[in-house]
Amino acid sequence: MPFLWLLVFTKMNSETHGAGRSTEPVDLRDLIETIPALVLCALADGSAEFANRAWHEYTGCSSPELTGWGWHAAIHPDDLPKLIQEWTVATAAGKPFETEARVRRADGEYQWFAIRKALSVSRDQIGKPSLRTLIACEDIQERKQAEDRLQQSEQRWQTAFENSAIGIIIRDRADRFLAANRAFRTMLRYTELELYQLRSIDVTYEEDRELNLELIRELWEGKRQHFEIEKRYRRKDGTLVWVRNNVALVPGTAGVAPFLFTVVEDITERKKEESEAEELRASLHATQLQLAQVSRLTTMGELTASIAHEVNQPLTAVTNNANACLRLLARRNLDPEVLRRALEEIVADGTRASSVIARIRGFIKKAPAEKSDLDINEVIQEVLALARRELSENRVLLEPQLTEALPPVLADRVQLQQVLLNLIMNGIEAMTALTSRPRLLWVQSRIDESGDVLIAVRDSGPGLGSESDRVFTPFFTTKANGMGMGLPISRSLIEGHGGRLWATPNSPHGAVFSFTLPTAAGSPP
Amino acid sequence: MTRAPVVFVVDDDPSVRSSLKFLLSSVGLQVESFDSADALLQRKPPDAPSCLVLDVRLRGLSGLDFQRELAARNRQMPIIFITGHGDIPMSVRAMKAGAVEFLTKPFRDQDLLDAVRIALERDRCRREEEKEVADLQERFDSLTPREQEVISLAVSGLLNKQIAGQLGTAENTVKVHRSRAMEKMNAQSFADLVRMIEKLKGSAKKAS
Repeated sequence: MPFLWLLVFTKMNSETHGAGRSTEPVDLRDLIETIPALVLCALADGSAEFANRAWHEYTGCSSPELTGWGWHAAIHPDDLPKLIQEWTVATAAGKPFETEARVRRADGEYQWFAIRKALSVSRDQIGKPSLRTLIACEDIQERKQAEDRLQQSEQRWQTAFENSAIGIIIRDRADRFLAANRAFRTMLRYTELELYQLRSIDVTYEEDRELNLELIRELWEGKRQHFEIEKRYRRKDGTLVWVRNNVALVPGTAGVAPFLFTVVEDITERKKEESEAEELRASLHATQLQLAQVSRLTTMGELTASIAHEVNQPLTAVTNNANACLRLLARRNLDPEVLRRALEEIVADGTRASSVIARIRGFIKKAPAEKSDLDINEVIQEVLALARRELSENRVLLEPQLTEALPPVLADRVQLQQVLLNLIMNGIEAMTALTSRPRLLWVQSRIDESGDVLIAVRDSGPGLGSESDRVFTPFFTTKANGMGMGLPISRSLIEGHGGRLWATPNSPHGAVFSFTLPTAAGSPP
Repeated sequence: MTRAPVVFVVDDDPSVRSSLKFLLSSVGLQVESFDSADALLQRKPPDAPSCLVLDVRLRGLSGLDFQRELAARNRQMPIIFITGHGDIPMSVRAMKAGAVEFLTKPFRDQDLLDAVRIALERDRCRREEEKEVADLQERFDSLTPREQEVISLAVSGLLNKQIAGQLGTAENTVKVHRSRAMEKMNAQSFADLVRMIEKLKGSAKKAS
């Protein structure tokens, strides 16, 4: 590493240093000239008496250009005022002079040098003793560059730390905040100063403190290097924010005590989504229950019991009355008046039985129709979600063919679900015995030729054959434990919406059940 | 002389109630119908064989509850259940609790009439049995304490001599007590007496 030696000649009076100090005056200049480092001989005011060869070589300047104040031109203009200032102050106070400045190289590049007073020497000039001060200057270009790099790096990190979208905090062993970036401060709505008065645990939600403290303790005890925790902070305004913290213990160095480095991610949104998803699941479950209830009604499980009771009462009365008449008649003991009363009762009970039936039919027709604008694809997806288990258990491959952006239909969601579920379950059941070809179920939605929304459920089962006309007849069933009510009810529900439900053969195998629904715009209010 | 049997009908459906009454009267039975279990409980028990045709589903007290209620009141009356929607567990419970029959509406009239006949017969037997026990008890109560003591020991298999020894009396005195008791009890033979006492004991055991 080359050094720049700046040799300063200062005229001193003989009284100070004495005459006996004379040395070899001629050799010194020669010596300076031969030093490979840059050396400048200057007077007390800072003007150069001469510059050595190395100076000329380094700067590429001629001797006249460097003597006097000329050498100042080789100093970087930004550094020159400081150099002059410090020179003046140091000389006036008799203190050591040392500064850093950039010196221009022959190729125009500036390099950093440390310029300092190195030592003083006396010299006898023209018989008079005088004192010279030797100043040492060091090429510090590399150190300077390293420093710059460090500073830039520091600045970069500082900027990154402060501007990171994610919260970052640094805490000491006492859990005090040493640093907290803007994202963190914004998250908790505290200022930097306020945070430095607090411990991290102070802003942690009470219920989450214990676990958090335990994990931190394990960090400091060396039981773990880092940990992750999902917890809540309490903001300055008292509200809570969900975060996921990644906490690491950074070991100490000679100058820096160990500290905790924590990355804080705001997961409030995710938590919200999670709870919304939970709610969605719950509501789906509720829908499922509702559907199950409706389909139980459809399969007439409970309905049959109540129908049976309602209808059996008058039937019993009719049978009893008629039997009593027959018995009296057999004994030739039937009084016409008694017969008339019995027949009247029989008629009344017959009427009653038919009115029960009418009432039940009315009940089914009137069953809750709460019509609203529905996206039919959404309803299909809901039902498919419900049928997913049935589909997979029966190894049925689902082929949805839903047309996007269909116009909404004005319909009762539960009734549509009921119809769709019925058709899908029928399709699945039709294929349970199928082994010779894949069990495929297509669910299609589209606009038909007349502008209505059309939904088709196709299966690859054995098809309906000659039964296709009868499937909509009440109590017609091909299932061992079917009631034969699913399709007739489905048809009446769809007709109640102003649509149609029909069956056709699928090609090459299976059956297609299709229904139409008028769009909300086209259906009567 | 036993009075004419009575069939009680409890059903909250007026048509069913009146048709049942008509059907049962058409074969000459005496029928009384009620629209609730409570209404029947208001009626004094008849001094004649009786049975109950009971609808399972009633307003207020259900048929099965009523069956328990009657048992609790010690009003023994055979029950024929009729129901519009019988299920097996329900009928099993009813039969276990002593029902004669469990018929699902609409039922064959002959099934009901057969069940009623069986029920009335069962009730008649029960009443006869009860009457016999009551007579026996009355006769037994008319015995003097010493006579009761003597025949109780005799029935347990002791000889007159042993009875006299146990009671600290003469064998002849025992003989007199014994023949008086036989007479009062209207027993034709000693075996007859043993049967009577066993019957009394049995009914006492049943009652306790």
